[in-house]
Amino acid sequence: MRKRILFSIAGMMSTLLAMAEARFPKPDFTSGYEYPDITHGVPMEQFWNILDIVLLVAMMSVVVWAAYKKRSRAVIFSTSILSVGYFGFFRSGCVCSVGSLQNVTLAMTDPDYHLPWYVLLIFLLPIVFALLFGRVFCSGVCPLGALQELINVRNFRLSRAVSSALSMIPWIYLAFTILYAATRSQFLVCRLDPFIGIFRLGGDWGMIIFGVILLIMSVFIGRPFCQYLCPYGALLSVFSSLSWKKLEITQKSCINCALCDKSCPVDAIHQPQSSKTKESRSAGVRRIVLMSALLPLFTAACGILLHQHSDTLSRAHKDVYLYELVMAQQNDPDMEECIEVETFNAMGGNIDELKAKADKVKDDYAFYATLAGCLIGFVIGFKLLKWSLKRSRKTYEIDSARCTMCGKCFNYCPQNLTKK
Amino acid sequence: MDRRDFLRTCGAIFAGGVVLAAGGMLTTKTKGEEGDVFWQIDPFACTQCGRCETDCVLPVSAVKCFHANKVCGYCDLCGGYYRPSVKDLNTAAENQMCPTGAIQRKFVEEPYFEYTIDESLCNGCGKCVKGCTSFGNGSLFLQVLQDLCQQCNECQIARVCPSNAIQRVSYKDAYKLKDHA
Ligand code: SF4
Ligand code: SF4
Ligand code: SF4
Ligand code: SF4
Ligand code: SF4
Repeated sequence: MRKRILFSIAGMMSTLLAMAEARFPKPDFTSGYEYPDITHGVPMEQFWNILDIVLLVAMMSVVVWAAYKKRSRAVIFSTSILSVGYFGFFRSGCVCSVGSLQNVTLAMTDPDYHLPWYVLLIFLLPIVFALLFGRVFCSGVCPLGALQELINVRNFRLSRAVSSALSMIPWIYLAFTILYAATRSQFLVCRLDPFIGIFRLGGDWGMIIFGVILLIMSVFIGRPFCQYLCPYGALLSVFSSLSWKKLEITQKSCINCALCDKSCPVDAIHQPQSSKTKESRSAGVRRIVLMSALLPLFTAACGILLHQHSDTLSRAHKDVYLYELVMAQQNDPDMEECIEVETFNAMGGNIDELKAKADKVKDDYAFYATLAGCLIGFVIGFKLLKWSLKRSRKTYEIDSARCTMCGKCFNYCPQNLTKK
Repeated sequence: MDRRDFLRTCGAIFAGGVVLAAGGMLTTKTKGEEGDVFWQIDPFACTQCGRCETDCVLPVSAVKCFHANKVCGYCDLCGGYYRPSVKDLNTAAENQMCPTGAIQRKFVEEPYFEYTIDESLCNGCGKCVKGCTSFGNGSLFLQVLQDLCQQCNECQIARVCPSNAIQRVSYKDAYKLKDHA
């Protein structure tokens, strides 16, 4: 449908153009003038795409080796530098895994969209690695994470409650990213990427300032973007928490010195805890049952909430936005015509056709907004459920969902300093 | 195996299954022709709104004016080169449509003039294109210069283009030139 409309517009324009082209005849040169030969280059993307994938796999493998075998932060640090240099500045951070999320969503919902093979790999490989070894990708391969990692010196902690609340943001961001990509409205992650402007040394000023603020923050707080914004990191954390191998702070026994806990930039180390207030088994069971009952409740509630606002949200789509502008213009003819409406009228736009398109988009929104709401609600419910399951631990342990495998804790653990 | 480990193993198997299924399904999406990874303007759809100059992520837009010499009338009074109200047909800056002086005018033979775009000066504002399309043969047109374009995952101009003229194209269609039409 959409294609056909575009086609007819193109057809119309070219007839117009054919008329326009008749304005002046082709000159007959008598002086032997020859038309200049102007050529324009097209970059060899294929080559770079292959190199991207090869480097992606190679660097993730190196990180696995460095974290599990060599247990060396130095190696991870070097891959971070390479990542910022190559994926960041040289390849200007695009397409990145975080953004590929949207291409994949679009591929699932839009039958016309052709997903480039390397974008699929950029999306899948980090997830496969996460399922095997944890967030290897975040460690020293993701240019966004690496950039923040390289300049981090201190890690001031936010309180657990604030941090937990903020850690919902990536999920909300993820839900909206999927919503906007699935409805073909916009690529939210690309538009709000705070570091791309820095990698490209130019771009939207608002985003560059945001990026610089985040970078200044990352000097004092470990990876603020990864912890409190990145939607792909949220996805990876799920796979990472189920991973086959899990990273350990030390291969010897933990002596509970708490040094590693202080060193971790992303607060990914669980402290030992014993349930001090003895709770009767039945009370515990009751709490878990209650929380499990709340889970579907939250899911439904958030789903309904977003469903009710789907019309408002759908304004993010060009067609709906244009339709509303055209209607506003019609209701108030004195209003100054904006470029969108002007173009629409100049191209002889048909309001009924536009309305049909806008209604179609609104229907899409009604469905996907509900889905996005359910996702948000489910995550809230699940997090509450997880917090309610108090688990006793005897030693310091890595929370594999949060751990970005920086390797800092290795160097802090006194057990690692003594020879084997 | 305690209950926690059992749940985790189940979860891991499930997650692995999801990855495999999603991977398999998405692989079918990558088959066929090469992907449409380049962004390009359809010169027949573009209405020269001016956003190509302002909305590209690059400090100076990757969109440049192209000239289809074979369509051009080589006019002395060029609608793309001169402002509409021009009095003397000379190359003084105040007579020129182009704000950056990117169009070069060269005498060929009576009464023809050749126009060439200096891409290093052009900022993609489309003023000349508008002039040429309304008063001339429409031989000037805007294109994304692929060696400059960053191949953004989503072109920021496409997002705001009022005539939906910017689309994903494949390698072989990386330029939509007017000469071959
Ligand atoms: S959390 Fe996101 S931004 Fe941070 S390293 Fe991981 S993928 Fe990159
Ligand atoms: S390796 Fe993981 S747990 Fe250890 S300091 Fe780094 S992020 Fe924290
Ligand atoms: S934004 Fe669209 S209509 Fe405006 S100049 Fe660019 S291609 Fe043409
Ligand atoms: S008028 Fe604008 S589009 Fe035309 S050559 Fe000059 S800068 Fe480029
Ligand atoms: S893809 Fe990016 S760099 Fe290329 S024209 Fe669009 S905004 Fe500019």
